[in-house]
Formats: sequence, structure tokens, C-alpha cells
Amino acid sequence: MDTHPEAPLQPNAVPAPSSGSAADGVNPADAHLGTRRRTESVASLVLLTATLMAALPALGILGLLIIRGAPALSFEFLFTMPLQGMTAGGILPAIVGTLWLVGVSLLFAVPVGVLAGVYLSEYAGESRLSRIVDLAIVNLAGVPSIVHALFGLGAFVLFFRFGTSILAGGLTLGVMTLPVIITSTKAALQSVPQSFRLASWNLGITRWQTIRHVVLPNALPGILTGIILQVSRAAGETAPVLFTGAAFYLPVLPDSVFSQSMALSMHVFALVTQVPGLPDSMKYGTALVLVGTVVLFNSFAIALRFYLRRHRKW
Amino acid sequence: MSDAHISVRNLRASHGPKEVLHGLSLSIPRGGIYGIIGPAGSAKTTFLTCLNRTLQLVPRASSVGEVSLNGIPVSNFEINDLRRRVAMVLPLPVGLPMSIYDNVAFAPRMVGMHNKGELDALVERCLTQAALWDEVKDRLDQLGTKLSGGQQQRLTLARALSTEPEVLCLDEFSIAIDPVTTMRIESVLVELKSEMTIVLVTNLLAQARRIADRTAFFLNGNLVEEGPTEELFVAPTDPRTHDYIHGKFG
Ligand SMILES: Nc1ncnc2c1ncn2[C@@H]1O[C@H](COP(=O)(O)OP(=O)(O)O)[C@@H](O)[C@H]1O
Ligand SMILES: [Mg+2]
Repeated sequence: MDTHPEAPLQPNAVPAPSSGSAADGVNPADAHLGTRRRTESVASLVLLTATLMAALPALGILGLLIIRGAPALSFEFLFTMPLQGMTAGGILPAIVGTLWLVGVSLLFAVPVGVLAGVYLSEYAGESRLSRIVDLAIVNLAGVPSIVHALFGLGAFVLFFRFGTSILAGGLTLGVMTLPVIITSTKAALQSVPQSFRLASWNLGITRWQTIRHVVLPNALPGILTGIILQVSRAAGETAPVLFTGAAFYLPVLPDSVFSQSMALSMHVFALVTQVPGLPDSMKYGTALVLVGTVVLFNSFAIALRFYLRRHRKW
Repeated sequence: MSDAHISVRNLRASHGPKEVLHGLSLSIPRGGIYGIIGPAGSAKTTFLTCLNRTLQLVPRASSVGEVSLNGIPVSNFEINDLRRRVAMVLPLPVGLPMSIYDNVAFAPRMVGMHNKGELDALVERCLTQAALWDEVKDRLDQLGTKLSGGQQQRLTLARALSTEPEVLCLDEFSIAIDPVTTMRIESVLVELKSEMTIVLVTNLLAQARRIADRTAFFLNGNLVEEGPTEELFVAPTDPRTHDYIHGKFG
């Protein structure tokens, strides 16, 4: 029997002496057990390493951002206009612009995405058409954001003549997040057991009433989680707003959806590539605010999931 | 045949290309418990789903033939009206993910009943009829899904009664619950049979024998024979019925 607690971390170490009977010759069953244990500990080591490799860079980035960016954070930085070609002052218009862009994208993507998800899950059935639509949506989710940006430029900025504006940028972000909102809505609805629907239909309750009162309330957590994760994606992407809505330097607050505005993601890009000789802390500070916003949204999603898992209704 | 509550003529039903119910004719008298027995796969469930037209919810399923309720073809009813008249209790208990009270008040609310007093009375009556009231009257706001299996099956029954159906169908209601609850539901059914027609599909021969007034024996999508329960069990006319009730197959 292997009684050394540190043994699993040293797969190459000399096998620990087995207790008692081993001295009388190796029991084949024991030997087999030993091999299995070693496999087990190698496996857990490999898995641990992989996990660390995934987590460390993320933690590293966050750490770096905090160390380098935190000194820049101040009330002024967050709540005042940039000055002198953004080499001084704050990032308020970028924060506000990001909120506007995300808001517009949500106003578009949430109703459309959720309704489409409801249709696909509850009404479309198993037809060939619905499978094709499904496949198209899944593929759309994999389209690079720069392609969405070009689509947004063509469709919203030029064709619909919204110009470079919050409206065009927000809609572009909305189109980008739509496939995932549809897919996650559909998945959330499908996780509601079919037996609930059947019980309801058998009571003479209409399809829509069943969706409204049985399926949706119980899928809501999943739907919300999907949406919130897309909010953070919309807040973080640069490419889609690059030619559709965001300005490099526009030290005023937007006054309608037809204004252009700055955006956090774009601002980081601008500070890093366009403004030579800027103090590092401003770049890192802006990035920190961006990441902070995203983390805030994500932790909201996580908290929601925790809460709902504890309050599961079945 | 004049007093048939449900009459079925030449009913065929298919799942995809496969016909599973082969031109069945049957009439179910008003009032009393009508038992249906038969081995698994003999299309008992498919038959029930033709009565309240839930067969059309099953992908690729279809049926032809005539099923009528009070002499009116079921296809002439508005579908949800039909389902309120012909209630269905499925094999596995289902507490809907809402309170016990809401489980029972759900269907009435969906057709516009919102008066608190009326709903309270209805919930109490249905839960009492389903022999569940005493166990849950102090915790009506608790989740229906958190009840035990046997309690959930009685909740399912109470919910089915909430639409004041004229026909109550039960599909092997006892397969997932304990014998004590089974017995309680059986005595509930015996009490209810004066108010409504009960169609009881059961895998328990003894259950049909205990409480069904008439019994039909289904085999492979055909009606082999039907008649007063005691006659069918004591003196079946068809040798296949004899074999089935003596445990020779199924
Ligand atoms: N959803 C379905 N899809 C395909 N075949 C089905 C489906 N439901 C039932 N069947 C088939 O129909 C026949 C009758 O089934 P069913 O009505 O469930 O019988 P019972 O309730 O008597 O066990 C069986 O052969 C079964 O395999
Ligand atoms: Mg069945």
C-alpha cells in the first residue's frame, strides 16, 4: 500500500515500500493496483498542469494590468474628458460610448435572439429547414468579428445610411452577438424537461401559454447567462466598431444614437498604436477599466448561475 | 350503443410508416371505470392519445378513423377544449415547477379564472378528491416538484381534475409509485367514477380486476375482446386473452 501523500506528485520516484506482504513476493493483483495508481497520479498531474497553463496567463494578464494600470485609476480618470489629443485627462467618453454601443446592441440582439431561440426550440420542430437554420447559426457564431465589421459597414453605415454612428456600431455588435444569444436561448429552453410541456399541453393549455408560464420562467437563468456573456463580448471587441461607430478621439459625450462616440476597446487600441510617448499607466489603466467592465458582467452571470442553481425548481 | 360516452370506429394510428393501431372499434359507456390491459407495445398509450388528440404532438405520428365524444367527432372540438374535457394522467408523476397551489390553479387560470375565492375552493376540492389535501394543506406554497413520487402522482391527478373533465384517462399511473399510494388512488377512482368516465390503462391485471367495470384486452394494436371485467377474467372467449391473464405471455 502506498501511504506517502507526496507520491502522486513524483511519478518517477522510487516506488514506496509496500507494507507487510510485499516482502513475501509481489502479489500480481497488488502490482496491477500499483500500475493503476501510477496511471492515476500521472493523469492528475497532466490535468493539473493543463489547468495551470490555462489559468496562469489569464491571472498574469490581470495581475500585470492591475500593477501597471491601477496607479492611473482615479475619479478624474474615470469621469473626465480626455485632453490634449488624449495624452492627458480621463476616459469618460470611452466608457459612456461603450455603454451606449452595448445598450444599442442589446436592444436589438436580445429581443430578436430570444424570440428566434424560442421559435427554433419550441415551434420549428425537426424539419430539414430548421436543421439548416441551426447549422447556419452555429457557423455564424464562428465568423471572425472583422467580418461582422465589414458587414456592418456595408449594411448599416452605407446601405441604411446610418453613417458611422452608435446606431451602426451597436447594430453591428448586435449582429455579432446574435448567433450565440440564439443558440444559448435555445439550449436553455431545451434543458427544460419535455415532461413539463406534455403535462401542460395535456391540460388544454395552449402552446404559447405553456411557453410563457412553464418553459420560459424555467429557462430564464440560462437565457440571461447567455446574454450577459455576450454583453461582455460586445463590450470587449474592437473590430466591429472600428469602421462603424467608434471614433479615435472625440472628447464629447454622444447625444443620440446617430452620434459617433469613443469606445473603451477602441481607445485602448488608439492609445497603444496612435499616441507615441504616452505614459504606460494610461494605456494599462484604460485596459484595466475595459477588463474590469467585462469581469463585472461575467461575475454577474456567475453569481446568477450560483443563485439559480441553489434555487432550482426541479 | 346509445349511451356510449366515447365511441371509436375503425381507428388506425401510425408512428412514421409503421401502423401500430390496426382499425380498432370500441365504445366506452358513460360513467364507470373502463380498464384496458395488454402487453407492452400493444398500442394502449397510442389509443389514449387519440382520445384527446395528443397523438398529434408526437413527431411523425398520424391517425385515421373516427373517435367521438358524446357522438361528436373529437376533430370537431377546439383542441384545448377537448383536452380540458378529456383529462390525461401520464405514467410518470410530473409536478410542474411551481407551487402546489399553482399546479392545480394553473389550468383554470389559463382560461381566465382569477377570482381568489373560487380558485381556493377549486384547489381544495381537487386536492381533496385526489387524496392529497390533508398532506399538503399547510404548505400549498411549496414547490410541487419537491413532493415525493407518490404525492406528485396525486398532484398530477388533482391537476387533471382541475379542468372538471368529463373523461379521465390514466396511463399506467402506478408504474412509478408505491403500493400504498396506488391503493389510495384506486379508491379515489372508485369514488370519482360516478361523476365521470374513467379510462384506465393498466399493466397490473389485478388492478383492472379490482376496480374496472369493463375491461378491454389489446394485443399488437388490435382489440382482442372486451366485456364486463369479471366475465373477461373468468371466462374469456379468446384463447389469447386466456393466455395473457394467466401470465403465459406479455
Ligand atoms: N414516439 C414513437 N415513435 C415510434 N414508435 C412508437 C412511438 N410511440 C410508440 N411507438 C410504437 O408503437 C407501438 C405501440 O406503442 P404504445 O402505444 O406505447 O404501446 P403500449 O402503451 O401498449 O405499451 C409500439 O410498437 C411502439 O414501439
Ligand atoms: Mg404505454
